[in-house]
Amino acid sequence: MAQRYDIEAVRQKYIGTEIARARGRYPVEYDAIRRHCHMVDDNNLLFLDPEYAGTTEHGAVLCPPSGWLALYFASLGPWPAVFEPLLPIVPTPGKRIVNMNQEVEWFRRVKVGDHLSVSRRVADIYQKAISIDPDAVWIVAEAIITNQRDETVCVIRNTLLTHRTPEEVTAAREATA
Amino acid sequence: MRKPQVHWDDVEIGGELAGFDIEIKPRRVFLQISGSQDWYPVHHDPAFARKGGHEDIFMNTGFTQAALVRMITDWMGDGGFLRKLYFEMRRQQRPGDTMACRGKVTDRYRKDGEGWVEVDVWAENEREGVTSPGRAWVILPMRESS
Repeated sequence: MAQRYDIEAVRQKYIGTEIARARGRYPVEYDAIRRHCHMVDDNNLLFLDPEYAGTTEHGAVLCPPSGWLALYFASLGPWPAVFEPLLPIVPTPGKRIVNMNQEVEWFRRVKVGDHLSVSRRVADIYQKAISIDPDAVWIVAEAIITNQRDETVCVIRNTLLTHRTPEEVTAAREATA
Repeated sequence: MRKPQVHWDDVEIGGELAGFDIEIKPRRVFLQISGSQDWYPVHHDPAFARKGGHEDIFMNTGFTQAALVRMITDWMGDGGFLRKLYFEMRRQQRPGDTMACRGKVTDRYRKDGEGWVEVDVWAENEREGVTSPGRAWVILPMRESS
């Protein structure tokens, strides 16, 4: 018989868990910003054109205020493609993941050349059924992004849904029958 | 060319942001991977997505956020500051959809000597309706007389 997933034990053990601060592999750089803008046809010169940006009050190209992009610069480098940091450290019945919501609070602008770091914390864990998985687990994680002066740039709160595939749900049901 | 700067004083509650539409075609799916560096297969591998219980691949959070941020930053101009953005990934944007980004000013107030504006922002498509509802809090420059 399969072992039952104990949500209360997982909550007690993992809520509040902090992941050590990590520094981005590279500083904030032009081309990753260009690719990010390119995917949604964002032609904002403040994000793309050093000459134009130099004439503004900011004096340099800004990183668009996307929590996703800030987290990219603070953690994932462009190569090799490392996906693991996005996976939850919390044990869950299913390994499939879907982002459900994100809140990004900004405190400072980010410019090309800044060097970002991230520290993370598990803020909440709960179980809530979805149509394909009655044992889906939801994880709320907080990421604090800082710059090279240790100033907080933004705080990201992300809710991640983890679930099993329909095949896995059926297999688990048969195993416990 | 520099865009005109919107000032807090001139913003009207109920005013709409200039939105835009993006067709989700294969090229856009590839741009999504390049631009977000999110290689989780549920966003580009139909077989992987279907095995997980989804009808098809769907566009990721980084893409959705980038689109909403494009709309907000185009509107707020170089002098605006996006102080906070919240959005949900309730339904999906899939290949074949046209993702429309829209926004509407819902509030305008002073806080700590600064001019704040709240904007409802969302992405929608014809198949699902609103897929990603959200809200943005923006600080705009104030005219010297205000």
